[in-house]
Amino acid sequence: MTTARHFLPPGVGGSAPGAGTLPARSGLGLKPEHFHSILETLPDLGFFEIHAENYMVEGGPYHHYLTRIRSHYPLSIHGVGLSIGAEAGLDETHLDRLAALIKRYAPQSFSEHLAWSSHGGVFLNDLLPLPYHAETLHRVCAHIDRVQERLQRPMLLENPATYVEFADSTFGEADFISEVVRRTGCGLLLDVSNVHVSCVNHGRDPRAFIAALPLAATGQIHLAGFARDVDAAGDPLLIDSHGAPVADEVWRLYRCALEMLGPVPTLIERDNDVPAFPVLLAEARKAEAMLSTFAEAGEPA
Amino acid sequence: MNVQTPFAAALLDPARPCPDGLVTWNGSDPARRFQVYRNNVIVSLVDALADTFAVTQQLVGDEFFRAMARLYACAHPPRSPVLALYGGDFPAFIEGFPPAAGLPYLADVARLEYLRVVAYHAADASPVDPTALAALLTDESALPALRMRLHPALAVLPSDAAVVSLWAAHQGVGALEEVIPEVPETALILRQGLEVDVRQIPAAAGAFIATLGAGLPLGQAAARATALDGGFDLAGALGLLLQSSAITALNPVLPQ
Amino acid sequence: MNAITSKSITAASLALALGAALTVAAAPAAAQDKMADKEKCYGVAMKGKNDCRAGAGTTCAGTSKVDYQGNAWNLVPKGSCVKTASPTSPTGFGQLAEFKEKKA
Repeated sequence: MTTARHFLPPGVGGSAPGAGTLPARSGLGLKPEHFHSILETLPDLGFFEIHAENYMVEGGPYHHYLTRIRSHYPLSIHGVGLSIGAEAGLDETHLDRLAALIKRYAPQSFSEHLAWSSHGGVFLNDLLPLPYHAETLHRVCAHIDRVQERLQRPMLLENPATYVEFADSTFGEADFISEVVRRTGCGLLLDVSNVHVSCVNHGRDPRAFIAALPLAATGQIHLAGFARDVDAAGDPLLIDSHGAPVADEVWRLYRCALEMLGPVPTLIERDNDVPAFPVLLAEARKAEAMLSTFAEAGEPA
Repeated sequence: MNVQTPFAAALLDPARPCPDGLVTWNGSDPARRFQVYRNNVIVSLVDALADTFAVTQQLVGDEFFRAMARLYACAHPPRSPVLALYGGDFPAFIEGFPPAAGLPYLADVARLEYLRVVAYHAADASPVDPTALAALLTDESALPALRMRLHPALAVLPSDAAVVSLWAAHQGVGALEEVIPEVPETALILRQGLEVDVRQIPAAAGAFIATLGAGLPLGQAAARATALDGGFDLAGALGLLLQSSAITALNPVLPQ
Repeated sequence: MNAITSKSITAASLALALGAALTVAAAPAAAQDKMADKEKCYGVAMKGKNDCRAGAGTTCAGTSKVDYQGNAWNLVPKGSCVKTASPTSPTGFGQLAEFKEKKA
């Protein structure tokens, strides 16, 4: 299989060339309940992000509204169903649907997850964890090569939120992701909330974790809220619920990431208990304010 | 090494133990953490069904609906990541679910709700120019063989139950107390512009539209409807299709 | 069935009906009193109140809700269905009866 190494990773921060990349501003996940509000007010926002699978329908209101919103804003397409970590091969039918969607909306960014969600023809509707060892590394890289070859563009790979780890893992997650990025030329979608959730769930230091990631390949940041639970030992177990405002700990970790990275396109995600649009807009403004302080301070080399 | 087969099986079957090979940093029981994944999968699928089948849920109540949907989700998980269209065979599952047998109309209400979602996301299509139809009147001998393609976002649901009235009563149209569930109704579901409409039509009109929609000729569709009801109003049914921009092609080339 | 019953629908009656339908459909909205009758016959179109009733969307999030393993086999429906009339309801006429009255 040909590799996609000739693709340049998407630009870091504001250094990326022109129209092909997301601006180093804040964006929001596009929810159907906000279609009208957005088109009526056309808020000043860096970009919108959609979940690819929600627009894999033939016609109707979703395409109607997305077409209009796309004409006003840059777009990020975020896949949640490609199952890049699946033991079976990639679902080529799904990849075809993805290619058609990307052709139609010409997004500035396409991203997917380091996870699996389909097995044996069944879609499990969750981002499931995988062990990190030579075999899974080889498989994930082969799948990303195939995605980038089929889509003729680089993708960003998102670090997952996980609740368990595997006894047979031989890589740490950051090292695994670094190796995938090095081998495939894909970019990194740094989900700062997932870093926080996973590091609390697995007793790791989030700042050291971020520092060990392939930060130069970062094309986007995600921020979201989480829910709190406890594990069988009574230790905190955080659940990546996207159902609450971004927590203070995550804002602090975000600032720390920006210190390492400079300004990077940043998405506020909210998928559960979605509030009125102005509430999300206020969170996006908060991210934008932090981004702008780093833009003024100059970008890292 | 096949890790995902036992992992996936345990997600959908709570009777199975947590898969082997999982570890936690603090030595706590991984089964408790695995339960988060099980919740994510099952709760999200039940929520997905609750989104699509909202009136079905209101009819039976949350507790009954979620328990029924959970059994369905574990036995019939999605085959596609396009979740909007998940649950196509949930109505059939409801029909065969003994605890719901006391509500014989429930499955058809669910069918109506699913058809609404299908119509919402169906392909866009432009109606034929009425002048093209008018031109056909110059040669009426060709009319019995005329075929029409109907809008992809149109569906007919004939039911032995008062499916439209039951559904409508949950949209604030009509009082549920006054609906006689056993009275047969036929629903016409179609998207006009960006909105999905549901209306009650006579059974004969439903048979007419369904026959046309299946690609059979006008003469045959009219005959089938008239056989069902001697008073079938053909002009009214055609007028409804025209008014709803539901005729999208005349004599389309049929796929072989 | 089709070969026989088709004969009862003549090309002329099809033309008549199509002509009438085209006339009605072409009439300006304000002048469609005939169509207003049809509208009654065919039931008022009802739109879902929530235009986001679009089926489920995907999410890349988890949930803090817990899967409750209720025993569905012992449950009895107790939602709005308790308000529906029983088959022996003395109120008699259903929606279809009402519809036929209007149509007549």
